[in-house]
Amino acid sequence: MASKEPITSPEKTRKPPVAEDEDTGAQVAPIVKLDEVAVSTGEENEDPMLDLKSKLYRFDKDGNQWKERGVGTVKLLKHHVTGKVRLVMRQSKTLKICANHLVLPTMTVQEHSGNDKSCLWRASDFADGELKDELFCIRFASVESKYILR
Amino acid sequence: MALPNQQTVEYPSFKLVIVGDGGTGKTTFVKRHLTGEFEKKYEPTIGVEVHPLDFFTNCGKIRFYCWDTAGQEKFGGLRDGYYIHGQCAIIMFDVTARLTYKNVPTWHRDLCRVCENIPIVLCGNKVDVKNRQVKAKQVTFHRKKNLQYYEISAKSNYNFEKPFLYLARKLAGDANLHFVESPALAPPEVHIDLAAQQQHEAELAAAASQPLPDDDDDAFE
Repeated sequence: MASKEPITSPEKTRKPPVAEDEDTGAQVAPIVKLDEVAVSTGEENEDPMLDLKSKLYRFDKDGNQWKERGVGTVKLLKHHVTGKVRLVMRQSKTLKICANHLVLPTMTVQEHSGNDKSCLWRASDFADGELKDELFCIRFASVESKYILR
Repeated sequence: MALPNQQTVEYPSFKLVIVGDGGTGKTTFVKRHLTGEFEKKYEPTIGVEVHPLDFFTNCGKIRFYCWDTAGQEKFGGLRDGYYIHGQCAIIMFDVTARLTYKNVPTWHRDLCRVCENIPIVLCGNKVDVKNRQVKAKQVTFHRKKNLQYYEISAKSNYNFEKPFLYLARKLAGDANLHFVESPALAPPEVHIDLAAQQQHEAELAAAASQPLPDDDDDAFE
């Protein structure tokens, strides 16, 4: 039986060589002219209560399996005026939203039985601009982080 | 460019043609961007699948219509039709399969026959795999043909945003274009009744016992 590889294995942390950002592409004429626009994160009236690196999964009910949703930063944001709290998570690099839902008192958070750094919950998610019933599971880098969410 | 039956959008959109040998990871790469998932199972694409993929930049929202084409020759067919009106392209190969790199010039020639002077990114995928057959130093084709090259991994997300960022910059002629946080709109209030709540809890308990897809890779960035 193969033993589990330690997580500190150099093979796992090895990175491919960089020095590849040099532009070797042809000079092509642009086909659109885009002007800088004012951008809004939509989070301007909220304060982050939590801001953590994590990996998010969503449950695919048809396939009865967990699927990756994104790796990035999860935030709990509290609104200045209404006091409402929501969870917002963005994919790193592309900064796209992978979860955006209200945190309600009726929500229950439970541990994933196979992974002690993970927990799961249900939410009506608004990440794609329409409400979608989702089961989410989040995995943190350490066991401790999990308790902050509760 | 959208297909006739596809909704058009009021923001800039571009037809992106993605080509390369079968099994190099074109569909997996597109899916990773669309939903976040990483599909391990290989199901060859037949013909072409077109997926709209949006990005938010400091110059507003943009869309790529990703023409994810069949890499398997036997599913080929109307290939030239897929290239027509292509405004940018990705040529994908697999760094763990030498032949897929050897075939890059053929894909490039076919592409350039129809699409002249479009920005093209060459992507060496699967760089997370330990036993590479094509080392970074051995990749030289892009220098001869003036393509941009990125080593990527759809599995680890290494450089996964770079091809789109590069193409967007070239299409807009703006080297400073970058991705920004898209607005996180306030989610509307929802009310759940008690019966639904109970059913939900049962589902949650069942899901809690299903394994996560990638429990083995503990580290993530």
